[in-house]
Amino acid sequence: MSAGVRGRRQWPLPRLADPTAPLLEVEDLSVRFRMREGSVKAVDGVSFRLDDGEALGIAGESGCGKTTTALSLVRLLPPNGRIRSGSVKLFGIDLVPKTEKQLGRYRWREIAIVFQGAMNALNPVQRIGDQIGEPIEVRLGQPREAARKRAGELLDLVGIPKQRASAYPHELSGGMRQRAMIAMALACDPAIVIGDEPTTALDVMVQAQILQLLERLRRELGLSLMLITHDLSVIAETCDKVLVMYAGKVAEEGPVNRVFTAPRHPYTKKLLSAFPNIHADRRTLDVIPGSLPDLRNPPPGCRFAPRCPAAMAVCREVVPPEVRFADGVRVACHLYPTPDATPNLDLALAGQVPALDGEVAR
Amino acid sequence: MTERPHDETAPDTRHAPNGEHADHGAVPHDPDDHEAAARAAALHAAAHDPALPSPPPHPAHEHAPGTTVSAVAADAPEILRLTALEVHFPVRGGITDSLRRRPKGVVRAVDGIDLSIRKGEILALVGESGSGKTTTGRVVVKLTKQTGGTVIFDGEDVSTLWGTGRLRPYRRRVQLIFQDPYETLNPKHTIGDFVEEPLLVAGRGLSKAERRKRVIDALEAAGLRPAADYAARYPHELSGGQRQRVVIAGALVMDPELVVADEPVSMLDVSIRTELLRLMLDLRRERGLTYLFITHDLAIAWVLADRIAVMYLGKIMEIGPAERVIRAPRNPYTQALVSVSPSPDPPSEGEDAQRTILVGETPDAAHIPTGCRFHPRCPLAFDRCKVEEPPLFDVGEGQQAACWLAKEG
Repeated sequence: MSAGVRGRRQWPLPRLADPTAPLLEVEDLSVRFRMREGSVKAVDGVSFRLDDGEALGIAGESGCGKTTTALSLVRLLPPNGRIRSGSVKLFGIDLVPKTEKQLGRYRWREIAIVFQGAMNALNPVQRIGDQIGEPIEVRLGQPREAARKRAGELLDLVGIPKQRASAYPHELSGGMRQRAMIAMALACDPAIVIGDEPTTALDVMVQAQILQLLERLRRELGLSLMLITHDLSVIAETCDKVLVMYAGKVAEEGPVNRVFTAPRHPYTKKLLSAFPNIHADRRTLDVIPGSLPDLRNPPPGCRFAPRCPAAMAVCREVVPPEVRFADGVRVACHLYPTPDATPNLDLALAGQVPALDGEVAR
Repeated sequence: MTERPHDETAPDTRHAPNGEHADHGAVPHDPDDHEAAARAAALHAAAHDPALPSPPPHPAHEHAPGTTVSAVAADAPEILRLTALEVHFPVRGGITDSLRRRPKGVVRAVDGIDLSIRKGEILALVGESGSGKTTTGRVVVKLTKQTGGTVIFDGEDVSTLWGTGRLRPYRRRVQLIFQDPYETLNPKHTIGDFVEEPLLVAGRGLSKAERRKRVIDALEAAGLRPAADYAARYPHELSGGQRQRVVIAGALVMDPELVVADEPVSMLDVSIRTELLRLMLDLRRERGLTYLFITHDLAIAWVLADRIAVMYLGKIMEIGPAERVIRAPRNPYTQALVSVSPSPDPPSEGEDAQRTILVGETPDAAHIPTGCRFHPRCPLAFDRCKVEEPPLFDVGEGQQAACWLAKEG
């Protein structure tokens, strides 16, 4: 996996880059939103790392802070959002203390974002070829001709015929627009591409096509990806690592094939079994009772405790520390006070939840 | 009450989204709602104590269907039958088209489908955008006029039943639930107002107290307890899942027999989704409701439906018991859909080889291919498919597939 973008880069690294540092290292990141009645701790002490050529999925329900985490990397937060503490180190350079102007060097050139709903993210009155070429001219200072040529190559790369460069967004289908968005994100040959629900509004077959494209781009370009999605299946199919967030905190993080096959955190476990799966039995869907806590005034202990069937007294009082296991999984749950703990999660959660219908699965 | 917009066409089009299938993102999250959400969550938790099994008051098996494949007694009466249903929309040509004397096109949104639902059954209509599933649902609730074919409801031909007055009795019995609880609810009306509105529009001459009682009953049936408390609230005070429950209550207040649900859970988070699916199943058990469940998500159809009909470009490609359609699909389109249907299990070695990712996109319904409409994208197409459209062939156990290969056995 570590063939690495750095070796393949077309453009030089930022001047201050430390060639030995990890690609992206986020430590203890906290983001708050100022609201009318108090501040909301949308992201609270989140740490993770993204290595060269790796694909990391950030999973969780709406409002758990996954998009906020991603947007705060290049500080694209809404005006009432502030990074309160922590560091975001790209090639070892901390982006948090950078001024807006200094950040300009990193936005899109190093970290590009593919947004959900490409129709809203694309300019409706500009031809897609020009839109893709624009960051090449503006950010990289390339002449127009070179930008045009590169835009053509990029369209080709994402599977849009070059002739379509002169099309307007409304002339393209949803899948094609999403491909165009991906081409635009790749324009400056960024180190990291963030996909914020990149396939959410698409039909299942088109979604499969887009995921296949991302997979291919990763292989061919050595891209490092961050996929933010509530759709666990997208992460299962595309990512190496997954970060499960709940109410602004990391619940569980680790290799996808570990976390998804043997979830340790009760939230991960419930989330997975609430996911309708055509390859599993019918009507055994799980329910997570209740809803997200009020983040202006989160519960004192574990934030999932009020909804957790396995919650103990300690969970309601003490914030669980993050424990790292030998297989690379990190969990914040009192069921795991040490990396040797092997509680029976099934038993802890057992008997609490009936099958979807109370019917016997046929 | 006087300023309330009286919809001439149907009680349930109130504040409905205009577009057929606006592509909405994940449930918007408004941090302002936190407190309300938390309060609601507390109430909710009281109603659904996780320590208690879900509320079915009856032993699970008492009302549980027998062991028939479709979970509905084989002798259950048919409640809805669509025969050769067709909805063709004329394409309005621009001025250049008429100058060039280009022939006017026609969009064949629904292009001849036959479908029947038994009382108490859940039939899922599954398809990608542009498959005609939503249009079919709209014909059933009489929001769109069919251009051909018949709709028979409870033994009565309602195909030619039009006009607000004449439709009134029908609309009491057939209700629609929309996809987007954010756009369906009027932010200025209380939940109680919303749920009461169909009763006022239907003009049943109920007294205020009677209406109030029915509103409370409907809210309770939709799992919003204490109902009186919810009735006084405004939509912005509720979470997405609760709003969708309100929409369901708005349908229940009429005590319908058939509910057409158009992507009712698509916008909701996984955890809330399950609760709503469970609610819909509970309502079927308690009230004998029948559902036409329209969704693009095969996995949800799998979890919920007794039978699944797969649509492509206005035609039914395959129909049958959920178990058969998902586990033993006979139409290559269904097979491809099942193979790419997302699963949270990380792929194992060589699993990619089993996935059939179709190339290209669904053609638009103004240019339907000749022969089998799926043949240009079908990995198994042969000569006959290009010229002759296959009918639905019976392939046993109540399953039918529109494919020449299914005919061969």
